[in-house]
Amino acid sequence: MGLVLRNLQNMVPLRRARLRKDVETLRHILGIQKFDLGLICVDNRKIQRINNIYRKNNTPTDVLSFPFYEELRPGKLPCPLHRDEQNLGDIFLGVEYLFKQCQHESRDLHETLTSVTAHGICHLLGYRHESKEEWTEMLQKESYILNEFNRFTGRHLVPLIKTFGEDR
Amino acid sequence: MLKSLSRVVSTAIRMSSSGTTSSARALQPLSRSALCSTNSGTIRPFTRSLWMMNNNGAASGYRPKLFSSKGSSPVSCGCESLHTEGDKAFGDFLTDEIKEEKKIQKKTTLPKMSGGWELEKNGTEAKLTRIVSGEKVTVTFNVNNSIPPNFEEEAEPEQKSADTEPDVVSTPNFVVEVTKPATKHSLVFDCHYPEDEAGHGEGEEESDIFAIREVSFQPEGDVEWKETSYTLTTDSLDWALYDHLMDFLADRGVDNTFADELIELSTMMEHQEYIKFLEDLSGFVKCN
Repeated sequence: MGLVLRNLQNMVPLRRARLRKDVETLRHILGIQKFDLGLICVDNRKIQRINNIYRKNNTPTDVLSFPFYEELRPGKLPCPLHRDEQNLGDIFLGVEYLFKQCQHESRDLHETLTSVTAHGICHLLGYRHESKEEWTEMLQKESYILNEFNRFTGRHLVPLIKTFGEDR
Repeated sequence: MLKSLSRVVSTAIRMSSSGTTSSARALQPLSRSALCSTNSGTIRPFTRSLWMMNNNGAASGYRPKLFSSKGSSPVSCGCESLHTEGDKAFGDFLTDEIKEEKKIQKKTTLPKMSGGWELEKNGTEAKLTRIVSGEKVTVTFNVNNSIPPNFEEEAEPEQKSADTEPDVVSTPNFVVEVTKPATKHSLVFDCHYPEDEAGHGEGEEESDIFAIREVSFQPEGDVEWKETSYTLTTDSLDWALYDHLMDFLADRGVDNTFADELIELSTMMEHQEYIKFLEDLSGFVKCN
């Protein structure tokens, strides 16, 4: 099945082919091509509802990750026994939220979507940023992925989290 | 994943809730992949006709005397047609029903699609046309059989009221035809609204707002579908190709916004046609 891309919103025009290509590059860098991954693009209303249900935070946000494996050690890939366990989980991208943020900060939406997806994949792979140590470890991983991505594509993506304590 | 659920052809039950079965859509816990669910369609039980229900069916040569039973004596209005007490009750019922439907009819004029689409109607069929830099894009749909069965679970008895009745939403299959200047063929996309995304429930929807089911080249303007043309089905398609096809449509004005507006247009058209049908039925029954 691989990367399953869904666009459930009509607030922001998306280039599906470009988003897929960029996320496939991320998957290649991380060596996770054999795992299924869901990428669901939603508007503010929907991500706010999901945020409220699962994090008791009734506001829209940029990204929410739902790992298939909840107890992964950061950096260790899961060892699935069956085909239906070859799944990392789902990432919900708040594309309307990100679009407004990009407009405000004059950034490219699709580049931002790729950075945010890299952040989401790190969460699916067991990385957290609740403590300073966790944050440092996750930032290192994100920096590595995006540096590799930039090397492959000639782009200049930067990690989503820059300072410890950002709520993501 | 985009393997399309085949639309179970079913007309909406507006006047009566009987005769339908519904299946609850399983909500997927998000700790597991929300995209791994399978949805099962609902099949309305085939309603057998009065003739079939009689032990002595039509094939036996016996005809049940439906109109000679007690309490339905024929009445004549001079039009030489049969009129029964049942017809009268039916006519009265239809009068009330038409009144109710007109009451809930929000507008009588159809909404305009944004993006410069021209609408052409022929009965239940509609055709939207748009010219983009010399390229002609047409979208055709038919409001018949465009209302998916209700997937929602039966509400608790105390919650049941006229206010909680779900809205009837028309989500027709639609065909997009893209014709480039000076070509004899059009690229034709057979599109549909995946059923779990058609406004049901509050679960985590997992399908795109609309999806492409098939793509093929067809001779321009031909009404008949040429079966000998290669048809690309999206059931087991390379996802990258699928995404390019979706982007291709979006560049021609067929995107999620269009799909949402089409639902609005089709729902209103379907309602107009329904009211018109009720009026024709009423006229037929009453012999107006």
